[in-house]
Amino acid sequence: MITPQTMLVSLKEVGSTVLYLLAAAALIEVILYLVLVKWLKYKYAFAFMLMAPAIVGLFFLIIYPLLWELRLSFTNMSLRAFRDPDFIGLTNYIKVFTEPVLKQKYFFPLLGQTVVWTVINIFFHVTGGLALAMLLNRNMKGRGIYRTILILPWAIPQVIAVLAWRGEFNYTYGYFNVLLQAIGLQPIQWMTNPTANFAAMCITNIWLGIPFMMVTLLGGLQSINSEYYEAAEMDGASGWQKFKSITYPLLQPVLTPAVLLGTFWTFNNFNVPFFINQNELESSDILVTGLFRAAFQYNRYGFAAAFAFVIFALLLIFTIFYMRYTKTLKGDAQS
Amino acid sequence: MSSTTLQSTKPKRKRSFFRSGKGDSPFKRLVIHILLIIACVGSLYPILRIFAISLRPGDRLLSTDLSLIPPDATFESYRIILLEKPFLTWIWNSLMITVATALLGVVLAASAAYAFSRWKFPGRGAGLIFLMATQMIPASMLMIPLYILAIRLNLVGTYRGLVLAYCVTSIPFSTWILKGYYDTIPIDLEEAARIDGATQLQTFLKIMIPLSTPALAITFLFNFTSAWNEYMLARIILGSKEELMTWPLGLQRLQGQFQTQWGQFSAASIIVTVPVVLLFLYSSKYLLSGLTLGGVKG
Amino acid sequence: MKKSYLFLAIALIATLVLGACAQPGTPQEPADEGIVINLWTKEGETDGGLQYVQALADAYTAQNPNVTFVVVNKDVETLREDFQTASLADAPPELLWTVSDHLGPFTAADLIQPVDSLVDLGAYVPSAVDAVKDPSGATWGVPISNGNHLMYLYNKDLQPVPPANTDELIAMGADLIDAGITPLVVNQTEPFFFVPWLGGFETEVFAADGVTPTLDTPEMVAALQFVHDIKFNDGLMPLESDGDVADTMFKEGQAAAIINGDWSLGTYKELFGDSLGVAPIPEVVGGTWPAPYTSGVFFMIPKDLSGPTLDAVVDFMVFATNLENQVEMVEKLTRLPALAAALDDPIITADPILAGSAEQMTYGTPMPTVLEMRCVWDALKPEMQAVFNDTKSATDAAAAAQAAAVACIANQ
Repeated sequence: MITPQTMLVSLKEVGSTVLYLLAAAALIEVILYLVLVKWLKYKYAFAFMLMAPAIVGLFFLIIYPLLWELRLSFTNMSLRAFRDPDFIGLTNYIKVFTEPVLKQKYFFPLLGQTVVWTVINIFFHVTGGLALAMLLNRNMKGRGIYRTILILPWAIPQVIAVLAWRGEFNYTYGYFNVLLQAIGLQPIQWMTNPTANFAAMCITNIWLGIPFMMVTLLGGLQSINSEYYEAAEMDGASGWQKFKSITYPLLQPVLTPAVLLGTFWTFNNFNVPFFINQNELESSDILVTGLFRAAFQYNRYGFAAAFAFVIFALLLIFTIFYMRYTKTLKGDAQS
Repeated sequence: MSSTTLQSTKPKRKRSFFRSGKGDSPFKRLVIHILLIIACVGSLYPILRIFAISLRPGDRLLSTDLSLIPPDATFESYRIILLEKPFLTWIWNSLMITVATALLGVVLAASAAYAFSRWKFPGRGAGLIFLMATQMIPASMLMIPLYILAIRLNLVGTYRGLVLAYCVTSIPFSTWILKGYYDTIPIDLEEAARIDGATQLQTFLKIMIPLSTPALAITFLFNFTSAWNEYMLARIILGSKEELMTWPLGLQRLQGQFQTQWGQFSAASIIVTVPVVLLFLYSSKYLLSGLTLGGVKG
Repeated sequence: MKKSYLFLAIALIATLVLGACAQPGTPQEPADEGIVINLWTKEGETDGGLQYVQALADAYTAQNPNVTFVVVNKDVETLREDFQTASLADAPPELLWTVSDHLGPFTAADLIQPVDSLVDLGAYVPSAVDAVKDPSGATWGVPISNGNHLMYLYNKDLQPVPPANTDELIAMGADLIDAGITPLVVNQTEPFFFVPWLGGFETEVFAADGVTPTLDTPEMVAALQFVHDIKFNDGLMPLESDGDVADTMFKEGQAAAIINGDWSLGTYKELFGDSLGVAPIPEVVGGTWPAPYTSGVFFMIPKDLSGPTLDAVVDFMVFATNLENQVEMVEKLTRLPALAAALDDPIITADPILAGSAEQMTYGTPMPTVLEMRCVWDALKPEMQAVFNDTKSATDAAAAAQAAAVACIANQ
């Protein structure tokens, strides 16, 4: 049950926290104001004052831990070398590529699995989301209801959804196998068969990821001026031609960031592969679950830190290439 | 015609949001409805299964019974979780924290995004790349140093650390969305206001903020959802204090090493989904315009 | 104008600095007198364990008002991770209530202190104390309960008499299958549920030195082959089952017997009453009695704890394991006690379930707690699962497990 006292405790805690943070922010602003405006008369003073609290926060929450992890990646910290680890330079980074990062899996096969995972998911997210968005992009009855129901997978806390799906893949009691047996087919061993398990992971994540794409793309579709379509119809263009020449190019400003974000989120998705892979099959691991295991299950702290930076660098390189590639496309389309 | 021309004529042109669909044949409309219904069933079914588990007596997670309402359905799990466990306390705590951090997050991100959008200050490009880069960081990388930092700063077992952590983790994504939205708002109005004598702060508060309410609403929604469902940081920072637990921590308690109280777990799962769904419904009109008129220009 | 801004700024800074300093350390500490003991326990709510720990803590505080407890439940893996991280930040909890195999990682990282000089270990059951001794003879935990072992639990309505050996297991199984009942369910995903058979085939995971893995022996291959055969050739077990599935099938009466641990006794007793039977896992024909791992639940103390807090902690440990509380624990949690004197209490000798549990324990063997054991578990898991899925032969699985264990230990 809940009592007014407990409610008050939380309220006070949160309230005092907010006040404390606002005071700290005000302090930062005052200092900056004095320094940048009154003393230096800096041109961009106001911009920096706007960003200051965010920068301070990000420093503590992201930059400091990153630096700490960087230092850790150069040591051999593990359970045996816990309090006073030794400095071993780049050894961990070399080990990431030359030794198994899981119990038996090496880095590059694991990377391969991650890439396959990401590509399959993004493909279905985009096609599914686009298909649903195009279906919904019209004045029809019940549009609001459809949209609401189709958004639900996004609204549910991910861990709960994943656990629910894991139940559905249960050999004896899960929905899929019960259906398969009802129509006379063999049930699938979702948890022990590597291919089936990977498929299970993909199915779950596709279910989770389509709503975001659908909503994003729907908005993108709606920002396309319908005059284009009317002009194309008058010219006698087919559905496919309309899609290719109008919808797809004009969707790019929305599609590109959505795909980019989706790629990061899928690549780094922890919940789905970790929880669906109940039997800890190494064929179902991706890079970030491998990282988690290295750090927390096998306690190879130094190694895990190096591993993390390698993953981060991979994504960074991918992003740079992807942005160059799509910018080139945009330039061509506009010329 | 380039897309930038489209946007800058926005205030004058009357935009019809939806294709009229008048030309669609009844058959086509029927097919569309059928497809959508199938999609909805796929979307809804796992959720209904959780609901079914919550109605089953005796913590039976697994059963070959596929019915959505089990024959011996009971609200016992709901009763236990609402009345006997401190579930409502967890929900209340989560609500307090989530609302506070979502609001603070919006404030922080709105300010930072405005700076990125309107000024080309030194370090802007690097800053943007940094914001995107934060989305690439695997979360488990930060857990241990954050824990140590929290202990050293005396933030463990308090809400201070958690609220700070939630606000800040929401900043990169929110800033990105808001900046994109601000980019589509022409600068003429602000320049007019400056000429009329408004300070930079006044311009921001009186012109920009009202114009960007859709994006602000979206940002609030995203922040709310991520803070509401967040488990790892809460575990690191709140760990021990009973009366401060949020619902993810509480739900974790219902899971034993070899046995889980599935009935209560599922009942709790259904209940915690409700606020987020309501928020989604309420802000659904913003969802479309806010998310996409931003796009990415930068 | 400038001066007033400056003044304002200094005033703000001063207030905030003073405010921060004036805050009490962590909000958990009360004023000067009074000791706060942060007790992290692996006991959850499901089987009543957490409530029991809290009751113990409250009872102690009632007698010693200046000592208060903050009881926190963490599941076993989380407890280990968080304790390691907290120790790294020099802020570990004052007391742990956890499983014996945590001693491996905690002693390797030098996070806990030995208890030989703190309590009288002679009062406890020797097998319990042995479970937390390291090769040098130092004892690293104070026993609370003994057991944590697997047994053969059966539904008397479906199987009135338990099989005494593996031949009977198969024969009785055939009859049960004809009647449409699954003879045996077990968690097929965790190697913990497989190791008892190793004892039946007279082999162990480590050599005599306790740290070198011996997973590639003919006996191991025989054990793996055995479980494969009773599943696929005799059809005694379902094709896929984890802990939840096995538990559900047994509870719903679809399975006649389950191999499960003493933590489940309470729930099954409530559900089945007198129909619950407890017996040792059937003897291997041509071998001997299977030897499930016994361990237990123990108190552990962080390394740098000293002074009055240490004294309070020691006093609480002795209180929690005194005769009265141990008997009560048997009653409430259906676990075997660690205090030797409590074993003679009629509550154990008269209860058939507990008597059965105690009998199984006589065949048990202490679970190795060395750090290398982690590698053995991690190596065995995928290989055992491969054998259960018929994707690897027993010979290949054993060889692969040995290789993986050796590689893992080299990396520790």
